[in-house]
Amino acid sequence: MKKGMTRILAMAMAVSMMAGCSSGKPTETAADTKEAAANTAEDTTAAGDTNESATEKAEMTTEEAYTIGIGQFAEHGSLDNCREGFLKGLAEEGIVEGQNLTVLYENAQTDGGTASQIMANFLAKDVDMICAIATPIAQSAYSAARDTKIPVIYTAVTDPVLAELAGEDGTPVGEITGTSDKLPVKEQLEMIRTLLPDAKTIGILYSTSEINSASTIEEYKAAAPQYGFEIVESGISGTADIPLATDNLLEKVDCLNNLTDNTVVSVLPMILDKAAKKNIPVFGSEIEQVKIGCLATMGLDYVSLGAQTGRMAAQVLKGEKKASEMKFEVITEASFYGNTKVAENLGLTIPRELSDTATELFDEIVTE
Amino acid sequence: MSIIIGILEEGLIYAILALGVYITYKILDFPDLSVDGTFPLGAAVTAMLILKDVPPVLTLLLAFLAGALAGCITGFIHVKLRVRDLLSGIIMMTALYSVNLRIAGKANLPIFSKETIFDNPLLQQLFPEALKPYRVTLILLLITVICKILLDQYLNTRSGYLLRAVGDNDGLVTSLAKDKGLVKLVGLAIANGFVALAGCVYCQQKGFFEISTGTGAIVIGLANVIIGTKLFKNLRLPGRDAAAEGGAKRQRGMKATTAVILGSLVYRGCVALAISLGMAASDLKLVTSVLFLIILVMSNRKGKKVVSHA
Repeated sequence: MKKGMTRILAMAMAVSMMAGCSSGKPTETAADTKEAAANTAEDTTAAGDTNESATEKAEMTTEEAYTIGIGQFAEHGSLDNCREGFLKGLAEEGIVEGQNLTVLYENAQTDGGTASQIMANFLAKDVDMICAIATPIAQSAYSAARDTKIPVIYTAVTDPVLAELAGEDGTPVGEITGTSDKLPVKEQLEMIRTLLPDAKTIGILYSTSEINSASTIEEYKAAAPQYGFEIVESGISGTADIPLATDNLLEKVDCLNNLTDNTVVSVLPMILDKAAKKNIPVFGSEIEQVKIGCLATMGLDYVSLGAQTGRMAAQVLKGEKKASEMKFEVITEASFYGNTKVAENLGLTIPRELSDTATELFDEIVTE
Repeated sequence: MSIIIGILEEGLIYAILALGVYITYKILDFPDLSVDGTFPLGAAVTAMLILKDVPPVLTLLLAFLAGALAGCITGFIHVKLRVRDLLSGIIMMTALYSVNLRIAGKANLPIFSKETIFDNPLLQQLFPEALKPYRVTLILLLITVICKILLDQYLNTRSGYLLRAVGDNDGLVTSLAKDKGLVKLVGLAIANGFVALAGCVYCQQKGFFEISTGTGAIVIGLANVIIGTKLFKNLRLPGRDAAAEGGAKRQRGMKATTAVILGSLVYRGCVALAISLGMAASDLKLVTSVLFLIILVMSNRKGKKVVSHA
């Protein structure tokens, strides 16, 4: 009993000690952090080494060989395209996989635990840079690499500000920067208006577990009245909810619009099938979705988004800029993709003003 | 070195979760699936509180209480409403998904810019620079050990003994004129408290809450418990053995709580090994299940009796 009491007392002390930790004032925090940072730079030899190698990189850009750890959150077309584009972007800058670049690629299969394990593994292998594809894994990467000098480049993060990877003005919170796949909402609405002059309501399916969708929905709701639309949203918590939600939504709307919602996109063929039976057009948010049967999109090309990210990464690797000095970037130009076969099935024609500016028109529905 | 730190960090967080699962699965013999909901519940409560500038240390306690409350509800559904154990867990887990979203307000809530138990001014002063890379591990170790000691202490109280009795032979509890339903409820509350605490620590260490973190928490917890108890429970420590021979022969081998914590580290170690061997992350679950199977089969082979609960 006595022993027990001592233990409990010791614990109580430990807890009260830790309780004291949190009462520091913000100003002190800042000063302390600076001090700590200075100490790190002076004391640890590891830090010195990294600095040295960084300067070396700047001097001999062509000879240097790099290792990049690419962590991807889920496995689907858009994110795969990001990765492909990323490597393409690096190659444009002379950093070619197999020649002067070693790529370690891991996929977290939407598992947060695996994501942080992947990051720990990258740190252990002492990579020169971490590339994180999609929001949750970008956050894992940031939290893992925060105390190291390893820069993180992310892509397909819809809202880096909301994810606290960048400040309000777009400046990075640390050695982390990248590109956002924010959807061109207004252009999309305008395009839907051109294609469907009489439509009144747009249905959007989204999963409540994806923060990127939640913020995009808000944007749609804000912008829709300008174009005379009303948004009908339907939140789902998993793929199993989608059939019912789709049936329900299709009763109420003139067309469906898809976001970059990972859960919804993964069962898109089923949604398309249901919509086609009712002759209701479905709009996509990027090229892959149009390929498999969405009518059209004013959307992103994830390959070029990835390429843009790759070029940013190259600048950091070559030592031209530090990640913390680069604001995150968005693709400014939305491009039009249409599917003429789908239009034909629906009894629509894509107006010339759109088809003439199209980046790509598909005349068949690719079924995988 | 940093890979070992990674294993320790992940392993220790999930060890707290495993302590909770140990109570339900091993002691109470109750397959409690509400864990998949209470783990992110702890994280959601923590993220929300920290954004409201609640002291990080206090969130540990509050998260524990939130988890305990959820555990009570699971217990209530099972004991009072007479719903099967598996189903009451599933009902709670499903309900908690919405509750967690309500608490956090959205599916992903970052707290990078806030102070946490792992990152605050006092710690900066307390820890010498040389120890900085080990800071998180040391704090985690402290929390896990405290949890373990608390649980050990509790299991030796009257209420703790009753808890163990309910899992093994609930008739005995009734014959002692105790309400076995109430004991189960207490057990579930404590177990889910630990799980939510693990979620709280997880959230503070990672710097964000994410609704999907709970998926598969129960599987990880079970794996930790089974690996731990199968591998280490019967491992005899020389020193302790002598003590056991000399004194009352009650302590044989390692304490189950210690075994569970070690099991968690082994599990994480295997996952890390699989990843660093270049195994695709998509094959991880397969590796886990094979590992699981090997350990189960091996411990059966030893000719030891497989006791279904401690």
